[in-house]
Amino acid sequence: MRDTPRRIAVVGAGMAAARFAARLLALTPPGGAEVTLYGAEPCGPYNRALLVGALRGRPAPGELGLPAGGATVRTGTEVVAVDVAARTLRTARGLTAAYDALVLATGAEPVVPALRGPLPRAGVHLLRTLADRGRLADAARDARTVLVVGGGALGVGVARALARPGVEVHLALGASGLMGRHLDAGGAAAVRRALEGAGVTVHAGPVVRLLGDARVAGAELADGGRLDVRLAVLACGVRPRVALARQAGLSVASGVVVDDGLAASAPGVHAIGDCAEHRGVVHGRAEAAWDQADVLAARLSGADPDALCAASAPYLRLSVGELEVAAFGESAGEGTGAVMLSDARGGTYRRLVLRGEAVVGAVLVGDVGAVGDVGRVVEWGEGVEGDAVRLLWGG
Amino acid sequence: MARTPHLLLVGHGMVGQHFLQTLTRRGGAHRITVLAEEPRPAYDRVHLTSLFSGTTERELSLWEEEFGRQHGIDLRLGDPATAIDREARTVTTRSGAVAGYDTLVLATGSRPFVPPVEGRDTPGCFVYRTVEDVMAVRARARHATAGVVVGGGLLGLEAAGALHAMGLATHVVEFAPRLMAAQVDDGGGSALRRRVEQLGVVVHTGVAARGVEAGEDGTVHRVTLTDGTVIDCGLVVFSAGVRPRDDLARACGLPVGERGGVVVDKGCRTADPAVYAIGECALTSDGKVHGLVAPGYSMAEAAAGRITEESGEFTGSYPAASLKLLGVDVAGFGDAHATGDDALEVTYADSRADVYKKLLLTPDGRLLGGVLVGDTSAYDVLRPLAAAGAPLTSPPEALLFPGGDASGAPSGPAGLPDEALICSCHHVTKATICAAVSEQGCTDVRAVKRCTHAGTGCGSCTGLLTKLVESTLSRSGVAVATGLCEHFPQTRPELYEIVRTHGVTTFSRLIDEHGNGGDGCEVCKPTVASILASLNPRLGNSVHILDGEQAALQDTNDHFLANLQRNGSYSVVPRIPAGEITPEGLITIGEIARDFGLYTKITGGQRIDMFGATVDQLPHIWRRLVDAGFESGHAYGKALRTVKSCVGTDWCRFGVQDSVALAIELELRYRGLRSPHKIKAAVSGCARECAEARGKDFGVIATSAGWNLYVGGNGGMTPRHADLLIADADHDTLVRTIDRFLMFYIGTADRLERTAPWIERMEGGLDHLRSVIVDDALGICADLDALMARHVDTYEDEWRATLEDPERLRRFASFVNAPGTPDPTVRFVTERGQIRPAPVLLPVPEPAVAR
Repeated sequence: MRDTPRRIAVVGAGMAAARFAARLLALTPPGGAEVTLYGAEPCGPYNRALLVGALRGRPAPGELGLPAGGATVRTGTEVVAVDVAARTLRTARGLTAAYDALVLATGAEPVVPALRGPLPRAGVHLLRTLADRGRLADAARDARTVLVVGGGALGVGVARALARPGVEVHLALGASGLMGRHLDAGGAAAVRRALEGAGVTVHAGPVVRLLGDARVAGAELADGGRLDVRLAVLACGVRPRVALARQAGLSVASGVVVDDGLAASAPGVHAIGDCAEHRGVVHGRAEAAWDQADVLAARLSGADPDALCAASAPYLRLSVGELEVAAFGESAGEGTGAVMLSDARGGTYRRLVLRGEAVVGAVLVGDVGAVGDVGRVVEWGEGVEGDAVRLLWGG
Repeated sequence: MARTPHLLLVGHGMVGQHFLQTLTRRGGAHRITVLAEEPRPAYDRVHLTSLFSGTTERELSLWEEEFGRQHGIDLRLGDPATAIDREARTVTTRSGAVAGYDTLVLATGSRPFVPPVEGRDTPGCFVYRTVEDVMAVRARARHATAGVVVGGGLLGLEAAGALHAMGLATHVVEFAPRLMAAQVDDGGGSALRRRVEQLGVVVHTGVAARGVEAGEDGTVHRVTLTDGTVIDCGLVVFSAGVRPRDDLARACGLPVGERGGVVVDKGCRTADPAVYAIGECALTSDGKVHGLVAPGYSMAEAAAGRITEESGEFTGSYPAASLKLLGVDVAGFGDAHATGDDALEVTYADSRADVYKKLLLTPDGRLLGGVLVGDTSAYDVLRPLAAAGAPLTSPPEALLFPGGDASGAPSGPAGLPDEALICSCHHVTKATICAAVSEQGCTDVRAVKRCTHAGTGCGSCTGLLTKLVESTLSRSGVAVATGLCEHFPQTRPELYEIVRTHGVTTFSRLIDEHGNGGDGCEVCKPTVASILASLNPRLGNSVHILDGEQAALQDTNDHFLANLQRNGSYSVVPRIPAGEITPEGLITIGEIARDFGLYTKITGGQRIDMFGATVDQLPHIWRRLVDAGFESGHAYGKALRTVKSCVGTDWCRFGVQDSVALAIELELRYRGLRSPHKIKAAVSGCARECAEARGKDFGVIATSAGWNLYVGGNGGMTPRHADLLIADADHDTLVRTIDRFLMFYIGTADRLERTAPWIERMEGGLDHLRSVIVDDALGICADLDALMARHVDTYEDEWRATLEDPERLRRFASFVNAPGTPDPTVRFVTERGQIRPAPVLLPVPEPAVAR
């Protein structure tokens, strides 16, 4: 039997870190392991996936907290260096700590788009952290004109969340259009209709410049058009936070490269969540991060030392106000055929992508009542034979 | 004394003929003259393309000589009107004849629009409008390998279907960005395009034909398109729309529209009160020229109404069409292109099956229109819903999937609102039809048709009408009338009794004296043909089913005494009684199959089927079969097929009786016996039942004491074991009981009713049957015996008799107009050393087509 590590250091205190800690400690006899989470943010673990919804107060920011299973959580403590040979880490405050096993769960950071000219000093927001949410919510309270830059799930969610009577919300799309990674043209059109129905004006974009010096005073689009906005939210995607891993000499591609056992390129070092690159893919979504956390917890606790991470099908779920979107697998693809049912009256759009008889992707917009069945069918690559229509109906 | 007013009709197309029928039905007291341009009377132009799939010109004709005689109509063919003198009230014709009129009706139709393409007059360029056009295209196609159709609309695709069916590499050139731009939207257009392309037809959209080039022989050689594409081809069909033929009206000073069409009012009257215009040449009060047949019929009725009683109006028609083009079902109705906030789309698309369905609704849930491609089963219900403009009562997605809908919501006619228009030709609503049933006492479709005129126009609503009448009847608790069809209120058994007891020997007498007159239909004609064939020996008629009037009553199989197969070829099955055949017989069949290149297969009835014969080959094949002693196997007929047998006592160690000898005797006894449906039989030599006799209409199983007779067995979709009728019978009792069983069945079964459902339906069931044919409870056995004796005495082999008679033989020319020319649409490929039909889809237009 292999020795299980006693001192486990987790760099990051986000969703993956909390899940890992809680699971590992549940699998370890009391006193069997010491788990320490080092979080740069001033608060403990919380559910980042619900931040957009929390922008509208549902759920309330105070309800987002996640349990860490009794692990030690060091908030406001950024890890600035790791010595993988000595198995030590150093924090920004100068503290050095030794570990038996290191888990990198540093997550991802927002991408700030390369715009012409400097960004205005105020009125430009991101939405990655609870603190970002607080600032944006405060700013949005009095804003009458808002621009959201970026047409991905976050941008769509923020635009929908900020839309309310009396507020002019503009959404400027980027190169991949409206949720282009997840939706086909029909699905994107349905989302667009839903946004427009909520009062959001959608622009093909992209935004090339934010006007204003001290504050945002407008925006300029690639086609020369100008938007008169006073608040801008940048939602242009995220990139894995890998500076620490790189500094430590670990193998890094887009993310920290890990094997099926989630081991990085140095002994005793692992990576999970948005910073990890598994089989060439950085998943960037909570379900994949939790799966990885579970597998690593099983391995390091000794509960299942041989647990492995399988490839994971892409999945997207967005729920803001009445806007409901779910996308599974090859949702934006054509497969060998597709079955689509769209109803402009309820704003619903449902599409299954098939390869032969197997469902390999799906999009649900508006009515996501079938999300459970469809997700299961896609995950298992099940056939639907003649029943595609029935499945789409969720009946 | 009042002179009979003279009505002059210019143009004898579908609308013109409908006008004549309506006018004469309304009893207008006119002397009628018709000036027709074409060399033949009115015919069904909508189904022109069916000439390629075996329909004859005669079958397309809408004109009956008797109709003309009865109403004294002077029909002048091939002599079109060339000028109208409204002052003198005369019309001059091409031959120089001058005809006066009191009332003039213009039904000149439209002419094909040929776009200004360079070289469009090159020999090998055609339009597609008349029988002559079709003949010319067909003649040219024999010498061409590729053809181009200019125009991707309804007519263009139909022409493309014809070229494709003749084996030409077919191109469709459409200027609009999609096929059938007027009827479908982009989504429907692309589904249609994929389907058409799967057939091998090449589709060019968003381009026009730039020029037609002639080859060295001066005829069409290639076509160039505006995008530079060059297509080598031997013929071009221009099918890019039509233009109203208003020249006559224009020349005599009648107002015509800016874009053509004789201006008429709601009564279809032109600016001159003595002149009417109807059909595609008229610009009606809604500001439109209507190109479909249904509004044309409505105009004909409006004009006839005005002329006879000053009533009748045409105020517009609801745009709707459902048809099958190149094997693809396509339907459009209402405003299929509505956009904006006032129209909400509900769309279903399945790219695997290339099915596309779209409904357009108003925000308050009224149906505006829709497009259906690949599956038009919802059309029947959707069209009247959209035309009524009433709010939907069931969710639209349920309407898109009739029958198979996932929501379980009601669909079908019951779900239609009262104001839904069922018959668009005669503007009959659901409420009117329901009232005809519930208030005016109509108890069948025929009565409803007579009462409301619904379904008597283009006929496309008959299916929906029937469903509606039946559902209304059953809701009101009225027993659904069981008449054979709209022409006969009697059931088949009643008709059989009439024929038998009154000695009626012809269909025309039967329908005149016992039906409601008229020409009959696809239900009553073959049914009466079968009754006559069963009773011919008793009636003293010729027993040959192709003699006299009987020939026209038969369906396609009986018509050619062979079985029509999927690619338009026929199969030939000689009788091999009980499956016993000599080596010489086998060799003969083998040689014939080899010499004519036929596919051979042993059938389930212990005989040999030869597939792939063309119509013109049939007599030659049969000449050799008859010479070798074979007879018709009646595989094509509703008649005795085979009496199957096991090997029997001669060879089998288990056999207790000679099953082969009995089977041969029975098969020869009942061969050629016409019946309500096919009859299959078998004889097993012992209880092991190797001949599967209990799956037959009648089956005989040997016992040590004689024979057991089982009746009412069936294979097929609803299998049923035959029931024991009599046990341990001796030979004579057995045969006599079968005689009576068959004759009682023929006399009392419904059309297309096998013995199994016949017995199940019978009050008292098997016991009643036994009391009738064994105990003679009804006292009819002597008559049944006599009928069978006459049949046995007068039997003759249909094929031998056909070969002996040149008149009968004449029908076996492949094309009536071109004897000796094999049907070019019949094609084969080779598989496993034999031929099989080439995968060519014949265009089969539906009767529901409206144009």
